[in-house]
Amino acid sequence: MIDEKADIAVIGAGPAGLSAVIEAAKTGAKVVVYDENLKPGGQLFKQTHKFFGSKEHLAGVRGFNIAKLLLEDSSSTNVKIKLDTVVTGMYEPTTLELVSKGKKWKCEAQAIIVATGAIENSLAFPGWTMPGVMGAGAAQTMININRVLPGKRILMVGSGNVGLIVSYQLMQAGAKVVAIIEAANKIGGYGVHSAKVMRAGIPIYLSTTIKEANSDPEVQEATIVKVDQKFRYIEGTEKSLDVDAICIAVGLSPMTELLNMMGIVVIWDNRLGGHIPLHDEDMMTSRPGIYVAGDVSGIEEASSAIEEGRLAGVAAAHKIGFINADKAETSKYQIRKRLDALRSGPFGEIRKAAKRYLIQLYKKMDYQNEAIQVQAAVVSIAGKTIENDVHLRGYPTIEEIKLSGNIPSEERFKKGPVAIIECVQGIPCNPCEKICPFDAIEIGTPITNLPLLDSEKCHGCGLCIPGCPGQAVFVVDFSQEVEYATVKIPWEFLPVPQKGDIVAAVDRKGKAIGEAVVSNVKYIPECDKTRVVELKVPRNIALDVRSMERGVKCER
Amino acid sequence: MSELRITEHPILSEWVEKEEITFFFDGKPLKAYKGEPIAAALMAYGIRTIRKTLKKGRPRGVYCAIGRCTDCIMTVNGTPNVRTCITPVQEGMKVETQTGRGSWE
Repeated sequence: MIDEKADIAVIGAGPAGLSAVIEAAKTGAKVVVYDENLKPGGQLFKQTHKFFGSKEHLAGVRGFNIAKLLLEDSSSTNVKIKLDTVVTGMYEPTTLELVSKGKKWKCEAQAIIVATGAIENSLAFPGWTMPGVMGAGAAQTMININRVLPGKRILMVGSGNVGLIVSYQLMQAGAKVVAIIEAANKIGGYGVHSAKVMRAGIPIYLSTTIKEANSDPEVQEATIVKVDQKFRYIEGTEKSLDVDAICIAVGLSPMTELLNMMGIVVIWDNRLGGHIPLHDEDMMTSRPGIYVAGDVSGIEEASSAIEEGRLAGVAAAHKIGFINADKAETSKYQIRKRLDALRSGPFGEIRKAAKRYLIQLYKKMDYQNEAIQVQAAVVSIAGKTIENDVHLRGYPTIEEIKLSGNIPSEERFKKGPVAIIECVQGIPCNPCEKICPFDAIEIGTPITNLPLLDSEKCHGCGLCIPGCPGQAVFVVDFSQEVEYATVKIPWEFLPVPQKGDIVAAVDRKGKAIGEAVVSNVKYIPECDKTRVVELKVPRNIALDVRSMERGVKCER
Repeated sequence: MSELRITEHPILSEWVEKEEITFFFDGKPLKAYKGEPIAAALMAYGIRTIRKTLKKGRPRGVYCAIGRCTDCIMTVNGTPNVRTCITPVQEGMKVETQTGRGSWE
C-alpha cells in the first residue's frame, strides 16, 4: 500500500472522532479518519434511548439518530473515512502505521487526534468464563445491532448508567432482566434511568455482588450475596437466581495504548475511569500536535465526546494554520461553554473537577497532589435545594416531588388534567422547558435547575410526556369522574396496549397495586417511538400508578 | 427464524427480511443473514459455546462482542483464531469450534 499524507489524522470514527473530522474539514484541512470496525459510529449506533442536555446537545434525540447526523455531516470532499483499518503504531513526530486486509502502510500527518474510546472492565468470579457471561456492552451490541437475544433471563451486575440503560434495552428487546445488583450502597447512574427500570419490574439490590455463576455447561444460575461496607461477603445472605445470561457493567477504561507507545504523559484518576492522558484546554497532550477527545481522555458521555471532538478538531486545525486565531478562539469558547453545561449537576461536577485538575497538572507538569475543591453541586429551583434519596431508593417519593414544588394543589386537580414532573436530581437537561406550548415549565440557567411547573398555565396536554428523555413526566386528571382518575404514562415497550385493555397498574417500584383500563393510546411520529398511554384507575391510587405490566389481563 | 431473533421492537426500525444464506457449524448446515457476525448467527440458534480451552477443554463464548477479548475465536474456512463476533458470515462458510490455539490446515 502506498504511504499517504494528511493534514489531520483522526483515530476512531465514534462520536468524538467524527465530530473532530467535521470541525477540521470545515477549515479546508485534508482529514483522514481510521476505524478498526467495519462500520463507523463507535458505540453511538447502539444507543436507542433519548439523550439529555440542551437543544445544542441534541437533547431528546436518540443516540443512533445523532450518529446518522454525524455521519452525514462528516462526508465531504476533503475527508477520507477508512474502515477495517487498525492503527498499529504511532511514531514521532506525528506518523501512523496502519494495517488493513493484510496490507501495511504509513500516514504522515501534521496533527493527530486520538479518539479511540474505552473498553469495558471485567469482573472475575467463579464461573465468569462460562458462555452466557458477557459485558453489558456486548449484550447491547447483540440486541441493538445484530437483533439477537443473548439470553432470556438476565442478571445485570452494576447500576451505573450502562447497567441501567442496557437493562431497559434488554427488556425492550424481549428479555427479562431478573435483577440489577450493585456492590456499592447507592445506585451509580441517573435517578430517571433507575426509576424507569424499577417501574418496568426490575429490582435493584444494593450492597450486593455476585458470588458465583453455576453453569453446566452454560450459565444456568447465579448466586448473589450481600456485602458490607468493605465489600466483604456477609455469610448467610446468599440468594440463588435462575438466569441464563449474566451481563457485567462495572465501568469503562480508556484505551490509551497508542498514547502509551509514544510516552505521552498519563495519570491515574478514579473520577475519569483510570489512566487518563494529561491534556490542556485545547485537548492537546504532552506531545505537540497529538490531541485526544472522547472517552479515551476520561469516561464521560457521548455528548461530551462530541464537544471534545469539536474542540480538538478546531484546535488542531488552528495549530497547523488552517483557521485564524480569532475564529478558533470563538469556536473553542462556545464549545467549552457547552462542555461546562454538560459537566454540571451532582454527577457532572465530579468530572468537571477532574478535568480541571488534569488541565492544571498539565500546565504544571508535576505530580504533586493538589487539593482541588469540588464545587458543591447546587441543585435549585427558584433558589430552593432539594434533598432526595433517589440514589438509594431508585425512584423519587411523593414527598420529594412535593419538595420540588411539582405536586399541584387540590383545587388545581379539580379543574382538569395537569402534569406532574417527577425530576428531583439536577442533571443538565431542559427539553421539557422548550416543548411546553403554554410556557408552563421553567428551568432557566443553569440547565441543571429542576423543572418547575406553573400548574395554572398547564393545560394537561401531555406533550411533555414523550418530550422528557428521562420519561419522568406524567399527566393526571382527577376532574372527570367521582371514583376514577386517569394517569397518562410514557410507553416504549411491546406490546403497545389498546384502548379497552385491562392491565395491571404498577407503582414507582414496579409493584402491581391495582387494575387499570386503558382509556386511550396516543402516538404521533414527532414523539419518536414514545407512546402515551392513558390509564383509568381508582382515584385513591392515581398519585402512585406510574406504569403498567406488559400484556393484558383480559382483552375487551 | 428463531425466537432469539428480535423481529419486533418498540424503537428499532421494522424488521426487514435480509438475504438468507447457509453456512456450516461443525459440519451442520445452519441459516444466517448474509453479512451478520458469525457469533450472532450462532447465538440466534442458542449456540453459545464457541470454543474449548487448551488444557481442560472448558467451554468459552462471546464476552466483549466487539473484537477485543478473543473469547469468540473459531476456525473459519480452515483459518484458526478468527474473531467471530466481528467477522461477517458468508454463503458456504465452514465454521468449527476449535480447542486451544487451533491449527492451520
